[in-house]
Amino acid sequence: MDGIAWAASAMSAAQTRLEIAAQNLANGSADGFRRSLARGSLHAEGVRVDVVRDDTQGALRRTGRALDRAIVGEGSFLLRGADGRTARARSGAFTRDRFGALRDDLGRTLVGTSLSRGSYVRSGFLESSNVDAVGEMVNVLEAERSFEAAQKVLSAIDQTAQRANSKMSEFK
Amino acid sequence: MNRALYAAATGMAAQQKNLEIVADNLANADVAGFKGAAETFTDIASRAGTLGTAAAGTHVMFTQGKLERSGGPFDLAIQGAGFFAVADGAGRLAFTRNGEFSRASDGSLRNAQGRRLLGTRIPADAISVNVASGGAVTAQTATGEKKCGRIRLAEFASPEYLESAGGTLFFETNASGKARFVDPGKRGGPELKFGMLERSNVTIVEAMMQILAAQRAYEANAKGVQAADEMMRIADNLSRD
Repeated sequence: MDGIAWAASAMSAAQTRLEIAAQNLANGSADGFRRSLARGSLHAEGVRVDVVRDDTQGALRRTGRALDRAIVGEGSFLLRGADGRTARARSGAFTRDRFGALRDDLGRTLVGTSLSRGSYVRSGFLESSNVDAVGEMVNVLEAERSFEAAQKVLSAIDQTAQRANSKMSEFK
Repeated sequence: MNRALYAAATGMAAQQKNLEIVADNLANADVAGFKGAAETFTDIASRAGTLGTAAAGTHVMFTQGKLERSGGPFDLAIQGAGFFAVADGAGRLAFTRNGEFSRASDGSLRNAQGRRLLGTRIPADAISVNVASGGAVTAQTATGEKKCGRIRLAEFASPEYLESAGGTLFFETNASGKARFVDPGKRGGPELKFGMLERSNVTIVEAMMQILAAQRAYEANAKGVQAADEMMRIADNLSRD
C-alpha cells in the first residue's frame, strides 16, 4: 500500500490515542466515570484505533454523606431528566429536594436502579473513576512519540520521492 | 488534536476548582461549626464530539463535628441536626452551626459577625447564665433565677440546598424549603450543649491528601495540553519540510 497514506493513518491513530488519554485524565475526578481504552489494529488501509470502554469497578470512597450512593458490581442508576428521558449513570452523588425526591447534580431525578445479580448499592460511598493517572500519562507520551515517528516516516518517504523526481529530470 | 487540547484544559480547570474547595476546607478547619464541602465532576463527552469534564456541583457535608468543651461563657453546640438562627441588623435571617456567641450591650447574644441569636435576651443584672439541652435559657441574678427565653433550632427539608454565605453562614432558598423551628431536647431530635463548641468536620490529613492528589492530577492534565500542543507543532512542520 501507499507509504504516505500508511504514515498518515498512523498519525491520525496517534491523535485518537491522545484524545482518549486526555479524556480519561480530564475525568479522573468524575465519580462513576469509566475510562476508555485504545485498541489499535493493523488493516489493509493502515492503522486503526478503536475505543473500548473499560468497565472495571472504580474504587469506593467513604464520603460521610448519607445521600451518596455507590454501586458495587454491574448496574446503573436510572435517572429521569427534565425532558422526560431516562438515562443511566454510575455516579451517585444525590441530594434530596424539598419534595423528598433524590436528584443528581444535573437535576435528574432518581427513579430506580438496575442491578445485575450479586450487585448492591452502598450508601455513604461514591465510586471514584477507574482512571489510572500514571498509565494515562504514559499513554500521552506514547501517543506523542508515535505521532512524531509517523511524521518522520512521512517526511522520509516524501524526501525519497522528491530525490527520485529530481533524478528523473536529470535524464531528460 | 484540538479535542485533546480542549479535554486536557477542562481537566486542568476541574482540578483548579477542586483545589479551591479543598483549600477553603483547610482554611476553615479550625472554625467552630464549619462544614467541609466537596466538588463533583461529570463527563461532558457527547455525540457531537466534545470531550472533557465539568464541575457539576458543590456538596456541603453536613456531618456532625466533634463537640469540645470550650469555656466560653455563652458557647453553644448542636448535637444532631439543625441550625442556630441569627439575624442581621435588617432582620434578615441566616443559619449557622457555629455557636460562638457573646453578650452584646443590649443583652442579646451575638456571633462574631454581630448577628443576633433569636429567642433570648440576657438581663443586665445576670451573674451567670445556663442553657438547658432543651433550649431554655435561665440567668442567675442577685434576686434569684430568671427565665430569659428559649433557643429554638431551625431545620430544613433539604439542608443541602441552603445557599452558602461564606464561612459558617447559610441562607435559606426555595430549594432548601422554609426554616422549621423546633425545640431541641426532644426524643430523637437535636440537643443543645452549653459551654461546648462543635469543631469543624474537616480532617486536616484528609484535606492535605486531597490537595496532593489534585496537584498531581492538574500536572497530568497539563502534560496532556503540552502533548497536544507538541503534536500540533509537528503537524504544522509537515507542510514546511
